[in-house]
Amino acid sequence: MLLESVEAHQFRNLSGEVFWGQGLNIIFGENGQGKTSWLEAIYLLATTKSFRTQRPQEAIRFGESLAVVRGRVTRSRDVHRDLQVTLQGNSKSLSLNGKSETVANYLSQLHVVSFTADELEVVRGGPDARRRFLDRGVVALHHSYVQTLADYQRVIKQKNRLLQDISNSGTSIDNARELIEPWNEQITLLGSIIHRARCDYVERLQPSLQRRLFEREDVTIRYMSTLEGKGDINDYESLLRERLGLRLQAELASGYALIGPHRDDLEILLDGRDMRAYGSSGQQRSALILLDLAAISVYHLWHNEYPLFLMDDVDAELDERRIGRLLEYLRGRTQTFVTTSKGDLIKEFANNAKVFDVGEGVAVDVLRNESEKTVFTSVKGI
Amino acid sequence: MLEYSEPVTKLIDEFKRLPGIGQKTAQRLAFHVLRMTQEEVGRFVEAMEDVKRKIVMCTVCNNLTDVEPCRFCSSTSRDRSIICVVEEPYNLVAVEKTRSYNGLYHVLHGALSPIRGLGPEDLRLANLLPRLRPENNDGVEVREVILATNPNTEGEATASYVSRLLKPLGVRVTRIAMGMPVGSDLEYVDEVTMDKALANRHEI
Repeated sequence: MLLESVEAHQFRNLSGEVFWGQGLNIIFGENGQGKTSWLEAIYLLATTKSFRTQRPQEAIRFGESLAVVRGRVTRSRDVHRDLQVTLQGNSKSLSLNGKSETVANYLSQLHVVSFTADELEVVRGGPDARRRFLDRGVVALHHSYVQTLADYQRVIKQKNRLLQDISNSGTSIDNARELIEPWNEQITLLGSIIHRARCDYVERLQPSLQRRLFEREDVTIRYMSTLEGKGDINDYESLLRERLGLRLQAELASGYALIGPHRDDLEILLDGRDMRAYGSSGQQRSALILLDLAAISVYHLWHNEYPLFLMDDVDAELDERRIGRLLEYLRGRTQTFVTTSKGDLIKEFANNAKVFDVGEGVAVDVLRNESEKTVFTSVKGI
Repeated sequence: MLEYSEPVTKLIDEFKRLPGIGQKTAQRLAFHVLRMTQEEVGRFVEAMEDVKRKIVMCTVCNNLTDVEPCRFCSSTSRDRSIICVVEEPYNLVAVEKTRSYNGLYHVLHGALSPIRGLGPEDLRLANLLPRLRPENNDGVEVREVILATNPNTEGEATASYVSRLLKPLGVRVTRIAMGMPVGSDLEYVDEVTMDKALANRHEI
């Protein structure tokens, strides 16, 4: 897939339309000019969400009532899709080729894999960030998994409330079991689907990890179920049912659902040691990049097309050598968007990239020809 | 100061209490009422009062009815050996419209939902179990109970709870199938439904 252009209207301080390049796009500019906002606009078009805020409506320009981001995507040579996200008040409306569309139908049009400061939680944060990473990957392959996840989360919410109600009311254990069983039955059913989907996804990621991209370090991943060592993990459904039955008392005592894939984790090992505890900041970043690249590769194997790759503030996240290796790897694969406030990247990659200079929200394509490039680099003192 | 005179404001406020009605729709409805004749308004009021006065809950199946027991429970032509359990009276209507079901019904008036504070005691379940005994069912033994609660998490939990109550009694308990809507094209079916339909496929 190829994002041809993006047009922003009252979205943060952005204005105008940008025609992106097919390969690497370097979004350059001083801080506060709108580099990241352009990345955010692309992310919004793809996911209908923002990586900067829970409420994308916060991106509506101050004093205005709505913001519009439009984009044109090419799926194959002659198949174009016009995507539009309109933010207004508390609502968000989506349209595809000029017709309003549901989230479910809208979402499969443009897929992004993104590396942002937030995403680093995957390698150094709690297990929830890693579960989300896996779930995002699974959803990109099986759309209906969204519903499975939503149902599962709803069942957990219902069960938590029930557990708390029961412990407050002093119901007998037999009575409690009778009330909880119907929810446990669904946890068993949906939880098994989630467990299988995540394990399968990890199995696909594993061979796609480009272990040698950055250095000698060997990154390995493994899906870590909380039920491991508690019985026959290969018969997950039976094991889950059994554990749910055995642990009821503990669940009642804590007031929370303790058993199920919502407690699982993805183990990320660096040379056999836990990345989160032992990895340096640089190694953690490298590992996340490797995971993202593996996700890109799995997506490509499945759909036979590449997603977009977004990376905010690239030189703050990676050193020069790693940036070089990464961009070299992505060349000919993804349409890539990186932001930077330093000129070094431009000097090194300008020949294979389109460079946009962002000032006051306007992104200008500066390197259309050699003479412009010379003028630009000298003016910017690069 | 009120935007509209007091009687109009009161009417708009009343309409706004109805489900799915916001300020704009309430305004439109209120002004429609103003344009109605006295006779039309009288008919409307009477219909609402009638419904409150005459409709009761059937003591056998909890369906809403103006005769007691309801026309399904008192019918002599229906198959009394089978009971279809639904969440709401309008779900019953949906099953009935098929005209292929000729058994009895049982309306729960809700589904289990701890977050909404709804437990088994809030469902109309107490009168379901006694119905299964022949002496309470015109001498007919109930052979099957069909659970037709909604195909969402609350409906599934409810179906599961009810089936646990019934199974020890030896009655056959079934759950309605989930899958493709008939008469539509495959391309219009959402992926989740398609997924379920594939999982529940059968040999022909």
